[in-house]
Amino acid sequence: MQRPLNRALAAAALALALASTAQAQVGLTSNTATVTLNATKLSTLTVSPTTATTSIASITDNSLANQFADVGLTTAWNLTAGTSVNLIGWFTTPASALANGAAVIPSSKVEGGINNAGWTAFTGGAVGGVGVAGGSLQLFNQAVAAVNYLGSRTDQLNLRLNLVGFPTTSAGTYTGTLNVQAVVQ
Amino acid sequence: MDFRVGRGLRPCLSFLASSVVLALGAREAQAQGGTVSAAQIIALVATKTSQLSVTVTSGAVQSIPSLTDNAVNSFPAPVVITTGWDVNPGQTNTVNLLAYFTTPAQALTGGSTQIPSSRVLGQVTTGLPVAFTAITQNAVGGVGTAGGSLRLFSQPITGPNKKSSRTDNLNLQINLVGFPTLAPRTYSGTLNIRAVTQ
Repeated sequence: MQRPLNRALAAAALALALASTAQAQVGLTSNTATVTLNATKLSTLTVSPTTATTSIASITDNSLANQFADVGLTTAWNLTAGTSVNLIGWFTTPASALANGAAVIPSSKVEGGINNAGWTAFTGGAVGGVGVAGGSLQLFNQAVAAVNYLGSRTDQLNLRLNLVGFPTTSAGTYTGTLNVQAVVQ
Repeated sequence: MDFRVGRGLRPCLSFLASSVVLALGAREAQAQGGTVSAAQIIALVATKTSQLSVTVTSGAVQSIPSLTDNAVNSFPAPVVITTGWDVNPGQTNTVNLLAYFTTPAQALTGGSTQIPSSRVLGQVTTGLPVAFTAITQNAVGGVGTAGGSLRLFSQPITGPNKKSSRTDNLNLQINLVGFPTLAPRTYSGTLNIRAVTQ
């Protein structure tokens, strides 16, 4: 009478033990490994001209009427510090801003401005390390603060040759490179 | 009647008494020799604990040195993950590997700016997301978070591979196309990698 009871009890215990083992294996989870992700956004400051070349079809000696086609300039910034964004135009060698063989036009005879606000020769100094002495022109000084550390502006760069009083130029094509660069101060 | 026994009879009586006792004892012993107790069953249970582990063998720290706004930014090297298991094939159909962010809305943060998990993409060419897929899936088997998970593989378990391992490369990207311009700073987050059987 006692044997069947004992066997039943033992079988029940075994079934219970196996059941609990099975339950433990369903949904078994591993340790949690982790991967650290770091992504850095750097400060940015860019200048984008609408065109890479601007020309005067025919130079007029001893005249102010030597205007290049305007060049659109978009200056964009995304900063964390600084009080101003400055845009500088400059010639690497002020004495020969444009050259036609041995004939040169110095930067003092090249005038610029933005948004038709007036003309100034490229004879200024560097700003914040940008530009060259005697061959630079600060085109704008844009105040920035936390409220506009992310911003941009688009300007029209006006350029002309002021050949009033300048010796008669040689026939040919005068070419030069105007650098336009922004700097945060 | 006088039952007094003489000194000469005493040894004889003692011998007789001893013989009776021995005879009775022998009968008792003969009766007990055929008796069997009830059998007792002892259940033996020895459990081999199932094993499931995940190890990041390389790429545990992923860095993009310069994020580009409005573009897809790839982390330069893959996360190499080794998943090992020793499970009962009768009770385990699959081993699944999940990648998930604890808070999907803030997968990476920098100051008050957050990059959600929908902008973080994963790819495992040897697994399920063979193309870059946003980490926006739900938990699997209780592992992961709703909307912030990605199942990297689902490995069927059979007899031959009940104890095995596999190594996979997880490639990661941050997709900033159409995302607001980020302020310059470092954005950080933690991607959890965990396996679960089903």
